[in-house]
Amino acid sequence: MLNYRFILYVLGLLLIIEGFFMLISGGVSFIYGEYDLIYNLVSAGISIVLGGTIAYLTNDVEKHINKREGYIIVSMVWIVFSLFGLLPFWLSGEIPSFTDAFFETMSGFTTTGSSILTDIESMPHGLLFWRSIIQWLGGMGIIVLSLAVLPILGVGGMQLFVAEVPGPEPDKLHPRIAETAKRLWVIYLGFTFAETILLVFGGMSFFDAICHSFTTMATGGYSTKQASIAFYDSAYIQYVIILFMFIAGANFTLSYHAFHGRFKKVFHNEEFRYYFSFVMIIAVIIGTVLYFTGDDLGVERSFREALFQVVSIITTTGYATADYLLWVPFLSLMIFVLMFFGGSAGSTGGGIKIVRIVLLLKNSALELKRLVHPNAVIPVRLNNKAVSQSIVTNVLAFVVFYILIFGVGTVIMSMMGFDMETSLGAVATSLGNIGPGLGDVGPSSTFADIPAFGKWFLSFLMLLGRLELFTVLMLFAPAFWKQ
Amino acid sequence: MRILIFGAGEVGTHVAKMLCNANHDVILMDEDEEKLQQIEAHYDLMTIVGSGTSIANLKEANVKSCDLFISVPPFQDMSILASILAKKMGAKKTVARINNNEYLVPDNKEYFKQLGIDELIYPEELASEEIAASLKQVGTRQLYEFSDSKLVLFALKIRDNAPIANKTMAEVSTMHGTRNYNTVAIMRDGRTIIPRGEEKFLHNDLAYIITTHEAIPQVLDDAGKVQFEVNNVMILGGSRIGVKVARLLGDDYNVKIIEIDKNRATKLADILEETLVISGDGRNLELLKDEGIKKMDAFIAVTGNSEVNILACQLAKKIGVRKTVAEVENIDYIDLAENIGIGTLINKKLIAASHIYRMTLNSNVAHVKCLTAVDAEVLEFIARESSKIVGKPLRKLGLPKDVNIGGIIRGDEAIIANGDTIIQPEDKVVVFALPSGISKIEKLFT
Repeated sequence: MLNYRFILYVLGLLLIIEGFFMLISGGVSFIYGEYDLIYNLVSAGISIVLGGTIAYLTNDVEKHINKREGYIIVSMVWIVFSLFGLLPFWLSGEIPSFTDAFFETMSGFTTTGSSILTDIESMPHGLLFWRSIIQWLGGMGIIVLSLAVLPILGVGGMQLFVAEVPGPEPDKLHPRIAETAKRLWVIYLGFTFAETILLVFGGMSFFDAICHSFTTMATGGYSTKQASIAFYDSAYIQYVIILFMFIAGANFTLSYHAFHGRFKKVFHNEEFRYYFSFVMIIAVIIGTVLYFTGDDLGVERSFREALFQVVSIITTTGYATADYLLWVPFLSLMIFVLMFFGGSAGSTGGGIKIVRIVLLLKNSALELKRLVHPNAVIPVRLNNKAVSQSIVTNVLAFVVFYILIFGVGTVIMSMMGFDMETSLGAVATSLGNIGPGLGDVGPSSTFADIPAFGKWFLSFLMLLGRLELFTVLMLFAPAFWKQ
Repeated sequence: MRILIFGAGEVGTHVAKMLCNANHDVILMDEDEEKLQQIEAHYDLMTIVGSGTSIANLKEANVKSCDLFISVPPFQDMSILASILAKKMGAKKTVARINNNEYLVPDNKEYFKQLGIDELIYPEELASEEIAASLKQVGTRQLYEFSDSKLVLFALKIRDNAPIANKTMAEVSTMHGTRNYNTVAIMRDGRTIIPRGEEKFLHNDLAYIITTHEAIPQVLDDAGKVQFEVNNVMILGGSRIGVKVARLLGDDYNVKIIEIDKNRATKLADILEETLVISGDGRNLELLKDEGIKKMDAFIAVTGNSEVNILACQLAKKIGVRKTVAEVENIDYIDLAENIGIGTLINKKLIAASHIYRMTLNSNVAHVKCLTAVDAEVLEFIARESSKIVGKPLRKLGLPKDVNIGGIIRGDEAIIANGDTIIQPEDKVVVFALPSGISKIEKLFT
């Protein structure tokens, strides 16, 4: 029997936390003296009062969870957070349609960054801040945050942690899960702070700097400007953002080691080396082609535009300084392929994740060797250690599901009347939590024209992608519900 | 406290769980990944696949920042080596499990100190001591002595024939004018209850009672237990525990030991001069009858097989042996064995775990005892001048619900606690605590 009361209890507590962050947005509205203050406060009030009531009523429950409750809690939290997180947008009338508001909020929490807004600059500051902070919360993870601040989740916390943190096998930085979560958030906070300072140095306003730092570290991609980062015609700002996107797409455990002076651990990490190489090689290829085919950008500019788009897409951030759809088809296609890569395990990025791709490629290559030597024991090695067969199987299943969902999703989108490019792009970008897609949903367009059903469907894909398929898919498996 | 445990066997995992519940930072290390997966999914700890005898693995586990290194792998040699390495690499304190009595001799202990092993744990030795102690006080399920036996804790099965059955705690405490024992906990249907005044003793309750040494006969009387002297003892199984018990009981008792393996029996006969060694299958009722099981006062089953021990004790009870002791190593069976009325249950893992656990508590704790049948501990604290608990009547302290103060030893005097008791500095206080209450009560004594 599932412990439903405990699930409600946890959701109640988490809603209070969400309400608290709405209050912060309210503070921003207050500072700017804008009309959205009341809507932020009302939304915060609704979340806190409702969350508090639920938590209070279920407080007496036995505080213990199993695997199944863990998966339900994690999936539900993201849906509940989006449902309440849309309140400020919806109540204030800035996004009058409920569907649109849900899409925008889910796209925020899952750090996708696909937007339906056509005039971002006209939004009041409080709402822009809320739009950025939901990405920041979703980046490191709602559950990881709650593990750090709610001691109650300590027991069984590992279940929740595994269900939310990306990658086949999460690392622990400390024997206690709460301490691990705290360390991750401290690093996350530190990087966000550092980026804000550096962006302010580059001449960005303090408000924009904070918002952009939130969405960079989350690899989210919401900008406070309609033109995204292209608005800032400053090489310095763009390089700073490239650097922090790259850090956010790397495993946060490695940042932790780097802070402790253990650089060897960072550079010897195989996933990091592949991640770095992929980015560099592809950026150089695109930069070179861009230099020769583009309209006279110069070496630095070509390389910067290539690097920015490559890092933005591979880390699944989704900022833009150029419209890659205007590049030669060879380059657009390369960007499309990059959409499947995703960041590293244990990062805030989405997608399939570098480590899975590396494992998959290695395993497939070794399969040839295994065919030659049918009796040989040939394990897949990562970081000079044999990877257990169960992990390889898990990765294979993950990739199969990913491709399957991508395929089926594309067909569903095309049934709504979209051309092939748009369908492929919209599904790839939603599932990978990236932001811009191809065709009608490219970097210069928005998702506003997609019909309501399409928006709900893409929102679902975003959630699937953020929780790495299994957490959500499991809820649809009959085995999950059998006693 | 940061604690590294090497060996995810039964003792290792049990200690890890306990320490985890007590909010320590626990790292569990074992070479077998499968053993680790199960516990990692359910407890908030870190696991490392590796061996405590590998320097690289110890480094990976960051042994230099560990406050305590617990070495409980399957083999003694590994255990000792791992502890030595851990200490040299910077672990503050090391504990190694051994299975050689020789090492425990005080003179030899010094060698291990020099090597870097601070404490040695020999679970079989501890278990045998507990068995021997239980024979001294028949009628009880478990018996522990605190502060040179000035206060004793024991577990009693309450039957309908007990004078205190179906009476409330408040009624019982006024039965004899003065209150000379304290019921700190009741185990009923698998639940542990901390009884308050209106709680009743019911049939089949297992009551944990703290009392002074002098009042023991009265408590046994109240619980309807008939006292008898143990003379004839039969031990089933010539395991290490069996041999140790036979040795401890020595001349004072008439001991027979039954061992199924012929070679082992021959060896036992060699090392146990005072004991009659019988070679045969203890599950054979004819054999037991031939060896006069009917005349036995106590039957101790300590074969390596928990099921055999439980069944053999059941059989002995049926024949009429009044005191039975079974070694039950499978922790999940304990609850079951308790309910079907096997007398005293011995589990060497729990015994070892409570010894190790003691090392993680602060210096105000003099003793700790993990109870076999319930998930709870009994701790002996020393109150200090600065302790919060000092100087106020207990009822005004707002004590946590999951602890119960049993008694106090002040100098040579033992006092049974009640709501008006005021704790003074240097008092030794015996406290019963559920796992959730340990850290709370610890704070009151700092």
